[in-house]
Amino acid sequence: MATPTVPKSWYLPTKPHKFCPGCGHGIVLKALGEVIDEMGIQDQTIFGCDIGCSLLSWNFFACDSTQTHHGRTTPVMTGIKRARPELLCIGYMGDGGGYSIGSQHLLNAAVRNEKLTLVLVNNTNYGMTGGQMAPTTLPGQKTETSPFGRNPEQTGYPTMGPEFIAQLTPDSAYVARGTVSKYKQLKKYLRSALRNQMEGNGFSFVEVLSTCPTNWRTNASQTWNFLEDEMEKYFPVGELKTPFGKGEK
Amino acid sequence: MHTDDITLEIVCSGGVSFTKELQARIAEAYIGEYASGKSELSINRALELRKQGRRVNLVDLDTVEPFYTLRPIKKMLEEQGLNVIAFSKEDTFGLGETGAMLNPQARWALLNEGDVILDIGYGVYGAQTLNLVEGIDQTPELKVLVVLNASRPLTNSPARIKGYLSELGRVDGIVANTHMGDDTTIDIISAGNQMIIETAREMQIPVKYFAVDKKFEGLMPTEQLNVPVKYIQRYMPMAIW
Amino acid sequence: MQRVIGESKRSFVTGNEAAAWACMAAGADIMFGYPITPQNEIMHYWTRIAPQFEREFLQTEDELSAGFTVCGAVQSGKKAFTATAGPGNVLMQEPFGMAEAMRLPIVGIIQQRGGPSSGTVIYSQQEVTLTTFGGNGEGHRIVYSTATHQEIYDYIVKGFNVAWKHRFPVFILGDGYQAKMREPLEMYDPQDKGIEMVEPYPLLGLGGKIGTDREPSHLCNIYSLEEELYEVVLKFAAEYEALAPQIIEYEERECDQSDIIILAHGVVSRAADDAVKALRAQGIKAGYFRPITLRPFPQQQLRDAIARSGAKKMLIAESAYGQFDRLVKQEIYGETISIENLFMPGVGIIENDIINKVKSIL
Repeated sequence: MATPTVPKSWYLPTKPHKFCPGCGHGIVLKALGEVIDEMGIQDQTIFGCDIGCSLLSWNFFACDSTQTHHGRTTPVMTGIKRARPELLCIGYMGDGGGYSIGSQHLLNAAVRNEKLTLVLVNNTNYGMTGGQMAPTTLPGQKTETSPFGRNPEQTGYPTMGPEFIAQLTPDSAYVARGTVSKYKQLKKYLRSALRNQMEGNGFSFVEVLSTCPTNWRTNASQTWNFLEDEMEKYFPVGELKTPFGKGEK
Repeated sequence: MHTDDITLEIVCSGGVSFTKELQARIAEAYIGEYASGKSELSINRALELRKQGRRVNLVDLDTVEPFYTLRPIKKMLEEQGLNVIAFSKEDTFGLGETGAMLNPQARWALLNEGDVILDIGYGVYGAQTLNLVEGIDQTPELKVLVVLNASRPLTNSPARIKGYLSELGRVDGIVANTHMGDDTTIDIISAGNQMIIETAREMQIPVKYFAVDKKFEGLMPTEQLNVPVKYIQRYMPMAIW
Repeated sequence: MQRVIGESKRSFVTGNEAAAWACMAAGADIMFGYPITPQNEIMHYWTRIAPQFEREFLQTEDELSAGFTVCGAVQSGKKAFTATAGPGNVLMQEPFGMAEAMRLPIVGIIQQRGGPSSGTVIYSQQEVTLTTFGGNGEGHRIVYSTATHQEIYDYIVKGFNVAWKHRFPVFILGDGYQAKMREPLEMYDPQDKGIEMVEPYPLLGLGGKIGTDREPSHLCNIYSLEEELYEVVLKFAAEYEALAPQIIEYEERECDQSDIIILAHGVVSRAADDAVKALRAQGIKAGYFRPITLRPFPQQQLRDAIARSGAKKMLIAESAYGQFDRLVKQEIYGETISIENLFMPGVGIIENDIINKVKSIL
């Protein structure tokens, strides 16, 4: 049996990581680690993570990394990138951090076409604080703060992040939505998003549909079904904007 | 500066002839760097004309800065017979950051009877702020005067003055207003104004007069380098405290 | 150090301009800001002169972002600063708290305006509590309350050095009057005054090959256990307290053998100083004490002045309703001198206000 390999850019003293069994973060971070390895950018990458479950990645990589407050990863990474443009800045956040408390930062960084790569993990709830309703919670989905299911009449419809960011950004931006169920495609999107920053083109944004069995209270097959049948149906997977229309297909 | 001078200059510059009323009217716009003394010189000029028995409109066109505008001293100036076109403090109650408000009357200021002195706020648009006033093109007697204080950091060397003037747009003349607040000395005034006049000469922009604080009256030659000296009273300190 | 001023010269400027030039002369690399009166001209002048000296500027979407971008930029090893006032200062307490927690060498210029809430755009001294003890921390910050344009300039230059040497956030606490007043000051390049500027250094993006040359830098800002945080806060407190004697600055005049000590900070101390001179001329024995650093506070120096003076009364004058007063009282807890107040929230205090008050209480 083959020994499982881990990306070289993972920081081994902090492994095994502490994400819940079945959590999609591990898959996203493995894809990101492999892309960092393949592109050979470990030493120039600055990894910044938000508060929320994404925080568990703060010392995940053997890359220089920083923490901040909930929602503020985007401005912290903007500050680093503006001060040191030669660094490759990856902001890592959840749907609450990006679409709710930090939405003004995300929106304006997109409008300014900041040369950042932001990866936003969408698991339809606030995981770390115990499974509350998130901007991405699906209509009818039960959470601790929508105990009878999300009612869009009262709380609106799920935020379509990549769709609004695609509207805000110029042609030089990269915008995609991937999913942990399509690993190779996800890696391709992350690679394009990093390359777009390296080439100095513009803002790069990848939303990743991910799983949260702990708060969904689902077993393995229910988890995967929710991801593929419910989430991917509501949130279309694919590239919404490729730099100058020439992204990898 | 007499009205005859104005007429004479206009005829010289283009051979254009105007009606008697237009010739008689004085219209001056004071522009310049932040804290260069625009408001102070506008007030002094307006009061000077008023003392000659003229009808004078003093117009606040400062759209950037809610401090140090004519607002707090509007009443005092009106009591001295000026028609002050500016918001009063009462007009701006509840408005907070009121810097960017343009008084509608200011827009039509040139239609007023009598002389018009325009106090133009600072900003990157320089003389372009005059676009906010209707009838600029139909007012050939209007002089755009830039106020320069050689103690101000961005106008403290010939190169900086040149750079500054070249970005301003239209300039018909310079008023040299070099001072250092309470620390002003005759040496500071003379050295700064000497630099201004030399730079102005190179750029072929006339220096209209030197503005000097009243407290130096009698201590300075009445005319320096063929430029008249006007002694001014400082009103603007009252506009803040 | 890049020369910005060249030959040191006196200039006639507003306080906001003094701040912009001081940051430039101190070698600040980048400013992040969001418009709010009365600090706007700091941004106006920074953006006008920055290209000439190859410095950077970003106008952010709000004050949260301005504060956090500054935090990011200093982590990357660049001298960064911001400026704000009033409600902007409220928002910036979030990033300022992060700077306190991560010991980030940020510099913030606060030009106080009236409060609470949007208040006025003009002037007050109502951001004392916020600037000294804002956020959910312990006030491990250094706050210089300036009174003149020269001080704005000098303490900004000093502030960058203190921030980068000791890694506590530094705030220059001015106000709308200082921001807009025009007065002369001497602008200079620090090296011409024998001031050596502390070089900034990165906490991230350290270069070299990770795993071979060095370990990765993982900056932490949140802790899992009470004990972990406890250790960190105690360590910061001990370092702050040990540093305090080096940082504390104050002015004291005529306190010995006085009947009353007048205590003021910032621009109000100018009126207090004038009032003391006038009172002395009238035969009233008044003394003057002014903390320049509000954090750390010159508490021992004030206690000593009270002891030496023999004064029975102290008058605390401020353009706020007791923020400075509370700060003073907590710092000199146990002193028995009777304390009188002149609270004029959001309005200027002039010499005569103080003189009249003194006469009414002596």
